Amino acid sequence: MKKPSVKFTVILGVIVVLLLAGASWYSIMFNDWRLVARMDFEAYEFLSKDLPMLGALLLFNLYVIYLGGLLVWAIVASKRRLAKTKTTRKMDPRLGLLGVFGFFGFVGFWTYSAFHQVYPFIFFVFFGFFGFFYEGRMSGILMDERYVENRTRAELAAHRVTVAALFVTLLVVARGAILGNLEYTLIAVLIVLSLTVALDLFLSEYLLYRYDRADQLDEGGEG
Amino acid sequence: MPDFECRLKKYRQLKELTQEQLAQQVGVRRETIMRLEKAQYNPSLKLAVDISRAVEAPIEDIFIFP
Repeated sequence: MKKPSVKFTVILGVIVVLLLAGASWYSIMFNDWRLVARMDFEAYEFLSKDLPMLGALLLFNLYVIYLGGLLVWAIVASKRRLAKTKTTRKMDPRLGLLGVFGFFGFVGFWTYSAFHQVYPFIFFVFFGFFGFFYEGRMSGILMDERYVENRTRAELAAHRVTVAALFVTLLVVARGAILGNLEYTLIAVLIVLSLTVALDLFLSEYLLYRYDRADQLDEGGEG
Repeated sequence: MPDFECRLKKYRQLKELTQEQLAQQVGVRRETIMRLEKAQYNPSLKLAVDISRAVEAPIEDIFIFP
């Protein structure tokens, strides 16, 4: 079975999002915000005007399931290739740009003050995706014993730093409240946890790259 | 930094092997052979044995520990 191309997946995603946006617009303009604004589904009665929104939601959910399937496919394929070739996974360093999504974490300050919603803080985890830049620069190389050793060293160093950060956070939040407010404490914990996960993801890739390529300029060619 | 002397380069050149060829024979990357020749990497016993067989020289002549 052939793997679907990235282009196909992105185009499909754009179409689904556009359909959802169109259906939302239709609902807002002509259907009294039904299925867009929060509503009581126990008292829900079907109207034919709901069809565009229901269809768009169905497509959106199917697309999410499709993405989940792709993820499983990628993991299985990666494991098979690993067992066969013993090389690192293929990755474009430009995927490191996904780390930019980490800045969406700052939206959490606004959503908290406006709606008391804190979930956008989780986006800080995306900062860890900057590590894909380094992983991409080492993609497709043979995982020999030196690589495995460096990988272990890098992960250990990254875990040490993140555990230290978590320990300090624990000491601070264990005092009970930040600025005398338990909600602020929860937000602080959420931010620190997200940033810690991001740091772990990033550091393990960055340190592996540094250990592997250290003194590269100093290395001679054939002697 | 490993504290030993490595004479791999000498034995590799005697066998007229390039770093790439030796790396392929023993299943590592060329960078690993470079590090070994500069005594910047302490190999596993298995890799040391594989290298010794590839260049047809005793391990103790290739890797000299004080």
